[in-house]
Amino acid sequence: MMRLTKPTLFTNIPVTCEEKDLPGDLFNQLMRDDPSTVNGAEILMLGEMLTLPQNFGNIFLGETFSSYISVHNDSNQVVKDILVKADLQTSSQRLNLSASNSAVAELKPDCCIDDVIHHEVKEIGTHILVCAVSYTTQGGEKMYFRKFFKFQVLKPLDVKTKFYNAESDLSSVTDEVFLEAQIQNITTSPMFMEKVSLEPSIMYNVAELNSVNQAGECVTTFGSRAYLQPMDTRQYLYCLKPKKEFAEKAGIIKGVTVIGKLDIVWKTNLGERGRLQTSQLQRMAPGYGDVRLSLEAIPDTVNLEEPFHITCKITNCSSERTMDLVLEMCNTNSIHWCGISGRQLGKLHPSSSLCLALTLLSSVQGLQSVSGLRLTDTFLKRTYEYDDIAQVCVVSSAIKVES
Amino acid sequence: MENAEGADPSSPEWSSPAQGPAESTPPQVPGAGQGQLLYHEETIDLGGDEFGSEENEPVSEDSSHFGDKLNEHLMESVLISDSPSNSEDDAGDPGCLQDVMEPAGGTAGPTLEDVIDKGALDTPSDDVGSDGEDTPRDVSDVTPDSRASLKEDPEQEEVEDLPASESGGAGASGPGAGEAPPGGVAAGACPRQPPPRDEPVPVCTIFSQPQPAGSQPPSLRDGFESQMVKSPSFSGASEAAPRTPPQVVQPSPSLSKFFGDTASTNSLASDFFDSFTTSTFISVSNPNAGSSVPENLSSLAATPGAENSPGSASYSPGMERSESGISTASLEIPQSPKPFSQIQAVFAGSEDPFATALSMSEMDRRNDAWLPGEATRKVLISVATQQYSTVFVDKEDLTMPGLKFDNIQGDAVKDLMLRFLGEKAAAKRQVLSASSVEQSLVGLKQLISCRNWRAAVDLCGRLLTAHGQGYGKSGLPTSHTADSLQLWFVRLALLVKLGLFQNAEMEFEPFGNLDQPDLYYEYYPHVYPGRRGSMVPFSMRILHAELQQYLGNPQESLDRLHRVKAVCSKILANLQQGLAEDGSASSLSQENRQASIQLWRSRLGRVMCSMANCLLLMKDYVLAVDAYRSVIQHHPEQEPQLLSCIGRIFLQIGDIKTAEKYFQDVEKVTQKLDGLQGKIMVLMNRAFLHLGQNNFAEAHRFFTEILRIEPTNAVANNNAAVCLLYLGRLKASLRQLEAMVQQDPRHYLHESVLFNLTTMYELESSRSLQKKQALLEAVASKEGDCFNTQCLKLA
Repeated sequence: MMRLTKPTLFTNIPVTCEEKDLPGDLFNQLMRDDPSTVNGAEILMLGEMLTLPQNFGNIFLGETFSSYISVHNDSNQVVKDILVKADLQTSSQRLNLSASNSAVAELKPDCCIDDVIHHEVKEIGTHILVCAVSYTTQGGEKMYFRKFFKFQVLKPLDVKTKFYNAESDLSSVTDEVFLEAQIQNITTSPMFMEKVSLEPSIMYNVAELNSVNQAGECVTTFGSRAYLQPMDTRQYLYCLKPKKEFAEKAGIIKGVTVIGKLDIVWKTNLGERGRLQTSQLQRMAPGYGDVRLSLEAIPDTVNLEEPFHITCKITNCSSERTMDLVLEMCNTNSIHWCGISGRQLGKLHPSSSLCLALTLLSSVQGLQSVSGLRLTDTFLKRTYEYDDIAQVCVVSSAIKVES
Repeated sequence: MENAEGADPSSPEWSSPAQGPAESTPPQVPGAGQGQLLYHEETIDLGGDEFGSEENEPVSEDSSHFGDKLNEHLMESVLISDSPSNSEDDAGDPGCLQDVMEPAGGTAGPTLEDVIDKGALDTPSDDVGSDGEDTPRDVSDVTPDSRASLKEDPEQEEVEDLPASESGGAGASGPGAGEAPPGGVAAGACPRQPPPRDEPVPVCTIFSQPQPAGSQPPSLRDGFESQMVKSPSFSGASEAAPRTPPQVVQPSPSLSKFFGDTASTNSLASDFFDSFTTSTFISVSNPNAGSSVPENLSSLAATPGAENSPGSASYSPGMERSESGISTASLEIPQSPKPFSQIQAVFAGSEDPFATALSMSEMDRRNDAWLPGEATRKVLISVATQQYSTVFVDKEDLTMPGLKFDNIQGDAVKDLMLRFLGEKAAAKRQVLSASSVEQSLVGLKQLISCRNWRAAVDLCGRLLTAHGQGYGKSGLPTSHTADSLQLWFVRLALLVKLGLFQNAEMEFEPFGNLDQPDLYYEYYPHVYPGRRGSMVPFSMRILHAELQQYLGNPQESLDRLHRVKAVCSKILANLQQGLAEDGSASSLSQENRQASIQLWRSRLGRVMCSMANCLLLMKDYVLAVDAYRSVIQHHPEQEPQLLSCIGRIFLQIGDIKTAEKYFQDVEKVTQKLDGLQGKIMVLMNRAFLHLGQNNFAEAHRFFTEILRIEPTNAVANNNAAVCLLYLGRLKASLRQLEAMVQQDPRHYLHESVLFNLTTMYELESSRSLQKKQALLEAVASKEGDCFNTQCLKLA
């Protein structure tokens, strides 16, 4: 048994010299004589000679496992009624991979029965290829033997997703959803992503946002780098819109909905192909709870250790409850609030909002996250936390802040 | 995140294989690997964990919604259920897959093209041996074999590593001990160690360092001092050892042989140098060589025998001084006789020496031009301007090379024969050794062309020993000639070709960045009057840069190549601005300028190509492709090959479409030139494209078509055979390869072909050993000592 991964191209080590050097043309002649170099361009490292796989290698979920099975008669006797069976035992099932299940009438000495099997690997973990051979000797004795080849199927990709909801105002939500998917190559070889698409569920239409129109041509946003190096991650973005018939019934969109699944096709060495789909991606439609805090105004760049102002808007989203809120401000390492923490904001009626101007300063340069706002509903004794509500770029005050 | 929680509850999971047998294991698998392969049901609570750790979860639910809306930082882990053909609902839970994978994923580092992933390799074979109760006989019969074949690779790898690491660590002793069969050739290794004193040292006339200096009064008007004297035969044993301990302690017995040898071969070495130095020294005939000093010396040179009993007393003060700084004047003087003896030969031989000399100097200038670094340039200027006083150069700025191992001989083929075929068969193996050829350039070329590179390395070593840069001389002051550097280049290039990268690195080390002042002709105004530029062959710079990538430092390779490229570009710019190569004002004839521009363009192209190769090795495919494309501008004649190469790179990545685009470009380019080669290239590319599309039958058809046009095409032959294997026709594939090897063993006994052949033998039968041994015999009769025996997989 030999696993048939794709062959590889032989690489040579070019060593050249110039005519005036001591060996004269000798080194160059040696390279020309070497059949593994490229005729006419011997300096190129990558030759044209194919070499067979040298070891079992890694196999990844979604790839096709191909294997050569050869039964060779090493003896000097003719054997009869040879039946070769190749089964793949996975964690959950046993598959027969042999092309034919009929017995071969006879096998002469030094002859062989060959079979190439293919199987798309659909499970992760241990697989065992069981090759069973039964035959009858000249003496009429029935013989049987088996060989086992065990291998592990590994996971090739790491996929992470994140949903963004497009906002309109207040508690109502537009129906658009953006899906960001990060796909990471966790194999050890470069991987060419042939296709990454989002197959939406019946409720949505999808628009891929991974290419831009440049001079009439669709150019991918990934530039010329069409492949992922080991451990590289690439982000794909999709915009989903509910189909009309579903959009009207807003109720359906609320709560957990199935968005669709990602279909990923990749290729590696010499076109070795793999394909995977994610499970159905689900999303919790956003609700804003009872109290919503949004930002009305914030500078994008501020000076170090100089106070700046932001304006927040607090909205009571609950249906009928008037709230009594207390604002607390907690300093973080970099962001310091100026003003009194724990002050009463007064009554806030349902569906009404109030604007709040706050002052803060940063003691650390760089991109800083504004965090640490706490609103407490005094009636329910419930605290709402607001962290990472925005970011500001803090620069040294020596540098003039433009605009 | 909701999703993750939803997906995983209690789905059956295969976690690690070592968890105890599961009831569900089908009975047919006879205890496959006692507890190694087990299926185990496990309920995984994935979601909580995963997100808890990642997310800074807010206390209240509301705020989490808020986070949802604004920028949440977290990405959810999505479970890859399976391949699309599986139904969705059995979506396995991916979370714990991660655990499963870790061991395997971790082992595989970035790999060179052929590197073996041991982690993965082990798995298939590991438990094969332990299972199979039903058929104990058969299985046990079979398994050792299969196991052996599977494990071969790691073993080989070890073998490969061994010499390397040894040599890396311990210096010369490693390779010498490991690879060289003791005795034999080693005895002849150093012809150049005459017993001190009573032996006339004709050798020295060639290099002419020691004798004249010894006889010079220590302080002549021109600063003669005897310190630099360093007869190859003397300094090593008697003076050097006490003063500067050798950098590498060398326990090898060969050292004594080294010094105890007779001088019988001396004359051969001098022949050798004469044979190719003549042209290099012709420029000396320029009249500006006419200082009084050389004239004095010329008489000395004429009678080397009389002069060459340099007392050791006169040496020692010199050596002492050389510790701190070296008088360049003294360096150059001992050498001056040489050109003069050469001149006579030149005058005798050619009718119009003056004209020849002029044209030669044009060529020399063109070839040797180089731009020294700032510090080096200053030293060279001071040498030029203060010819008669002493210029002190820090020892660290001098190049003091020496052999780091004196014998890498060995013949792996013979060793294997001894092991597998017995002594009798091994005795038949005849390869040329360094001793069995003329100790000269002729012999060296002979060794190289009959592929006895190890012996050739050895011979280079002997010739360098004759030059005083032999074993243990590293770190001792010496002087250089164009010839000695050429010898170094050949030796180092062969080491690289042999894959002995660590050895090459060790010996390259004293050369620094190839920019030390004593590597320039200007440093030796008396030896090379009027000659400018670097003695370092351009190819040696390339080699120096490329070596690092084979040692796993491709970044350093790139840095060095960029430096070389910068100088090439600067020289080209100088030429295009009407200056000489080095930027000095000069009136080059149009013809000469064009020739220079052409040379430096091609050198620039060579550097670019090396860069591209290096980037490819780094797997930075985008940059590599860009680099290859820019090479096309420098080597337009290689455009189809380069485009094809780029196409193959894309195939390797898996980007079939782009590969196809490049292959189409090749077809367009080759349409213009109709020739066999273009046609073959097109067919070859089409075949590769079909390979990429998994269509081995079509690929085979195209490879076969090439064979119809050119039946001797080794690549097509080999590749067609490989396709046959993928088509399930092992026997046919073997027949094709065997026929090919038999038909022209000289040409086809190539590493890659043999590798394929042995791989298929292993697949074919558990009795592959015999066939491999037959291959070994074929190799033994055709291949030199540089043959890489690993491809026979006999180890």
